[in-house]
Amino acid sequence: MSSDDSIDNSFESLAKGATKGALEWTSEKISDLVKRFRERNLAFIKEQKTIDIVREQYSSGEGKFYQRYIKDKDVLFIIRMGLTLRKIEDDGPRMSNLREKIFYKYKTRGLHIAEFVQNRLLNRYVGMLIDELESLDNLGKDIENVLKEIDKHVLFVQRIEKSQDIILKTLTIINSHSPSKFALSATKSAVEVIKECEDKLVSALTDYDLEVIREKETYNLFFKKKKTID
Amino acid sequence: MVDLVSLKDVSLNSKVLLLNGLGYQSDGIFVLDKEGKKVSDRYLEIPVKVENMVIFPGSEVILDDNELSISRYIEEFGDVF
Repeated sequence: MSSDDSIDNSFESLAKGATKGALEWTSEKISDLVKRFRERNLAFIKEQKTIDIVREQYSSGEGKFYQRYIKDKDVLFIIRMGLTLRKIEDDGPRMSNLREKIFYKYKTRGLHIAEFVQNRLLNRYVGMLIDELESLDNLGKDIENVLKEIDKHVLFVQRIEKSQDIILKTLTIINSHSPSKFALSATKSAVEVIKECEDKLVSALTDYDLEVIREKETYNLFFKKKKTID
Repeated sequence: MVDLVSLKDVSLNSKVLLLNGLGYQSDGIFVLDKEGKKVSDRYLEIPVKVENMVIFPGSEVILDDNELSISRYIEEFGDVF
């Protein structure tokens, strides 16, 4: 048996089990579709929704804002993926699928950047940067620097983590890098874990002011270094 | 702008015949090229399943239906939709 036979037989057995009621195309219809595709008049999609979601991230105000200031194409693309995650966060399977793809392509750092955007932490961060800026010239670079070293600026809390471990991790990062701003972010069942840490972190981080950002199922602690008076 | 044809409710048989028309084949699960090798998503480099494929103009780009790959396609080929 040739490898081609193997493919055909395998396909036939699967096709027989296919869901009844699915749309069947005639050979004439398929020939017409192939012809129109070759003339570049046609594209085959699965769901219009996917196309619409993607296009929206290019036309949205937020998308255009970051396009203006972020010059690193990979960082800008991951920001767009973060905006997309936010757009689809009510659709669990779709969001999980995209998170998997972001992780597959851009590993942990890329997923953390996307989550930073999704949870509106980047927007708040940019707001704080703008408050401190004397000129907009460096805004894009400042944002890129934060995102490229995302794990020095944010800790994503998992529900399985213990509060004392989160506090230790936070203090270790802050003592090592002394960031001007540091965020902890938790979603769904991890929210309770982060709330357990809140008072202890406020007590420990006396050089920082706390801002709490609640967003749907997300709870974020945003610590901002207090300005020193010369 | 191109016309969009949804494959969502199209039978596996018809989708495979469409692939055949475009010079591809399938083992019933994955999209295969003429040599029988799995076709990978251009941007994610993962094998494309027939049930989740999209086919876009521009050297016959066959992708997995997800927002990341479609965004990358738009960035490379422009918004043809």
